[in-house]
Amino acid sequence: MKRLSVLFAALSLSGAVFAGAADFVVVHEPYVRLAPPNAQASAAFMVLKNGSDREIKLVKADNPASKFTELHTHINDNGVMRMRQVPDIVIPAKGEAMLKPGGLHVMLINMKAPLSEGQVVPFTLTFDDGSSKQVEVKVMKMMPAAMPMKHVH
Amino acid sequence: MSNRFLVGVIAVLISLIIGLGLFWKPELTPPPAAVSTLPPGGDFLLQSADGPVALSSYRGSLSILNFGYSYCPDICPTNLTVLGAAMAQLEPEERKKLAVFFISVDPRRDTPEHLKTYVQFFDPQIIGLTGTPAEIAELAGRYGVYYAEQPAEMAGDGYAVDHSADSYIVGADGRLLARMAHGTPPEQVLALIRQYMQTS
Repeated sequence: MKRLSVLFAALSLSGAVFAGAADFVVVHEPYVRLAPPNAQASAAFMVLKNGSDREIKLVKADNPASKFTELHTHINDNGVMRMRQVPDIVIPAKGEAMLKPGGLHVMLINMKAPLSEGQVVPFTLTFDDGSSKQVEVKVMKMMPAAMPMKHVH
Repeated sequence: MSNRFLVGVIAVLISLIIGLGLFWKPELTPPPAAVSTLPPGGDFLLQSADGPVALSSYRGSLSILNFGYSYCPDICPTNLTVLGAAMAQLEPEERKKLAVFFISVDPRRDTPEHLKTYVQFFDPQIIGLTGTPAEIAELAGRYGVYYAEQPAEMAGDGYAVDHSADSYIVGADGRLLARMAHGTPPEQVLALIRQYMQTS
């Protein structure tokens, strides 16, 4: 009995020591952009905050609303927007990664059904240590006020 | 004492002059061009879900051309949301003198019917257009629009299309007047629409 409790103590201790990266990542203001009813693609945006003192990488995202989910970024090459898949999204130690229109995003490819406003899509985010986190993400109509400011040519 | 001070001052001055002569190279940059040159632009005849559309039949209206594709998850919806938000601010009289076209740079996947449903989500007045790949390429060339398919970039039957994300304002006389960068805020788009309605 005594040996068993020692074992339990050891187990719970190791649990604390090896807490997964997912435990240190807090997701702020996530949303899926409401797309036209016949759109084959959409995107999810969010701010990922890393409370730990080591770098964490988001390596995979998954969701049941689309057939495929990929991590993407946009490169603005003299006004030409080049969308590219990225292997991971780095969340710096004690820092954040911002997924926002015109930049990093989680891309939803081949929608299984049209999205509706207010619908909640459960996303599974997987990190570089294999730990993962579920996030409930609401489908929202895009507000032009939240758009990036830029000059006019 | 004062002599040594004077020598010191002179030495500093001399080294300053030599230093300036050696290291000061004023940059002779040319003054920035006052007006950025616009591509030639011009008319088009493309297909909408409601039949062929010629830009020449919109003489007397201000036209906005935006190039994109319906598989685009972010850039095109942002452009169309901004255009829709600006259009929502227009008076009915102003709306009558405005035409907004979304021209597909993905003619392989975007059918006229598909484009109609897609663009009307942003504003019922936006007209979705497509054509043969050759027609789209020729038009894009005249408006300085770059686009290229990136087949290996996406999963499934998806592929991304790199493309210029600017919008083009065409005057009532069919002349290309201005280019609006991606990310221009709706209030600025609205101001530009009104400005060019008055002057063109």
